[in-house]
Amino acid sequence: MTKKVTYYPGCSSEASAKHLDKSLRAVMPKLGVEMQDIEDWNCCGASVGHIEGGKLGNAALSGRNLALAQEQGGDQDLLTPCAACYLNTHETNEKIREDEEFKGKINETLAEVDQSYDGNIHVRHIAEVLVNDIGIDKIKEQVTNPLEGLKVAGYVGCQTVRPFAATERGGEFDEYDNPTFVDDFTEACGAEALDFDNRTSCCGGSVAVMDPEITLPLMKKILDEAKEKEADCISTPCPLCQQNVEMYQDAINKEYGTDFNIPVVFYSQLMAIAFGMSSDEAALDQHLVPADKVKAKAK
Amino acid sequence: MNAMSPEASRKYDLNFYRWVRDNVDGGDRLNKCMQCGVCSGSCPLGTDMDHGPRKLFMMVRAGMKDEVLKSTTLTNCVSCYNCVVRCPRQVPVKYIVQGLLGVAISEGHQDAASSRNARFAKAFWWSAEKYGRTDERLVTAKFYFSGGIGEGIKKGMANQKVALGMLKTKRMHLGAPHKTKGAADLRKILAKAKEIQAREKGE
Repeated sequence: MTKKVTYYPGCSSEASAKHLDKSLRAVMPKLGVEMQDIEDWNCCGASVGHIEGGKLGNAALSGRNLALAQEQGGDQDLLTPCAACYLNTHETNEKIREDEEFKGKINETLAEVDQSYDGNIHVRHIAEVLVNDIGIDKIKEQVTNPLEGLKVAGYVGCQTVRPFAATERGGEFDEYDNPTFVDDFTEACGAEALDFDNRTSCCGGSVAVMDPEITLPLMKKILDEAKEKEADCISTPCPLCQQNVEMYQDAINKEYGTDFNIPVVFYSQLMAIAFGMSSDEAALDQHLVPADKVKAKAK
Repeated sequence: MNAMSPEASRKYDLNFYRWVRDNVDGGDRLNKCMQCGVCSGSCPLGTDMDHGPRKLFMMVRAGMKDEVLKSTTLTNCVSCYNCVVRCPRQVPVKYIVQGLLGVAISEGHQDAASSRNARFAKAFWWSAEKYGRTDERLVTAKFYFSGGIGEGIKKGMANQKVALGMLKTKRMHLGAPHKTKGAADLRKILAKAKEIQAREKGE
């Protein structure tokens, strides 16, 4: 049975995390999910929008997306793969549902362009839907090319699970400190999930863009463990984690005299390969650190 | 951590605490803080902060407004939400810390107003308002040059290899930014939000 959902890809889908977007669009239909993009979506505000735009201005960004989603797809679930998009959109949506005064203000802003939103959509992270609605067994069923022997460090990061993964509306799909869903995805694909202590260590988020010097040690800690455990790659759900942990390896090598060269892929890219797709369909050519061992598994 | 604890002889000024309670997102739960330190201990950059959230909250209570608003506890928050999910008293620590940063920047407090965070936030919002999207290239360039032309060139040069790699792997494009067609609509919505916020501030 096909599950129809509204899809919010987010700004990184057009740039640094194109490979997340591409691999998801390849994988999700196989899992019975039909994704309809929000036509003409806008930025969610990420983690800094509130500073210049104010709390309400930042929330109004999500307000427009939610109103568009409802106009175009009714009350069907709104899914996003991006940690920041999820956090902002889910948080604003929940506040609209809980707080009449806030809902009134969001609708006052939307009324400027003859739009409105009633709070009836459920905003969900794609990973949560994969765990709760699709299920690990269904993922396993799609695997025709198990990634045997591939050692994967499952790196979850922060905002995919915090602060909503253990809440009712967040789907109670995993824990904050020791989430296992990325490992479950890895194992469903036939690969080996390493016991990775730094799975929820922060990569530095947007502070890494502003001031990499102080966040390099955070990323080094993650890479150190991946290297020590002989990971063939790191797998993550988060666009910014993928970018930071991959992009700064050169700078870390320069600073600390290390020789990190560890590919950082998205869980959806591993699924694409395990589902028998080509490395092009899995967008494996879009890595700064080539994911050769994953590519070698492609049919 | 440097020593800036309130002295025992200091007379506590509760006005700042009351203001935070009433005006900062999550501030109404600040009085639940029991100074256990789970937040500071859970903070990825806790050791790079002058105070850390636990001490910062005591400083809010002690009325140390200037010290609070220029604290690196505000500017080094990475929004990891460890503090939010771990606080045994459900104090929304990150929200309060980020809210205080917003106050410090919008009220033009020295340090905060010229901080990298303020400059990055400005570049970010510029793109969101103008195009309806974050253009990673333009936001980064605008941020790099916000510290002066010399710094912009230096940072640009340092990131040349990464930028070329991003172009080569098609994760960065040349040419016009991606745009939301309804960016003008979005600006109307954001202007209204700004107006509502100004109205509330005046109340």
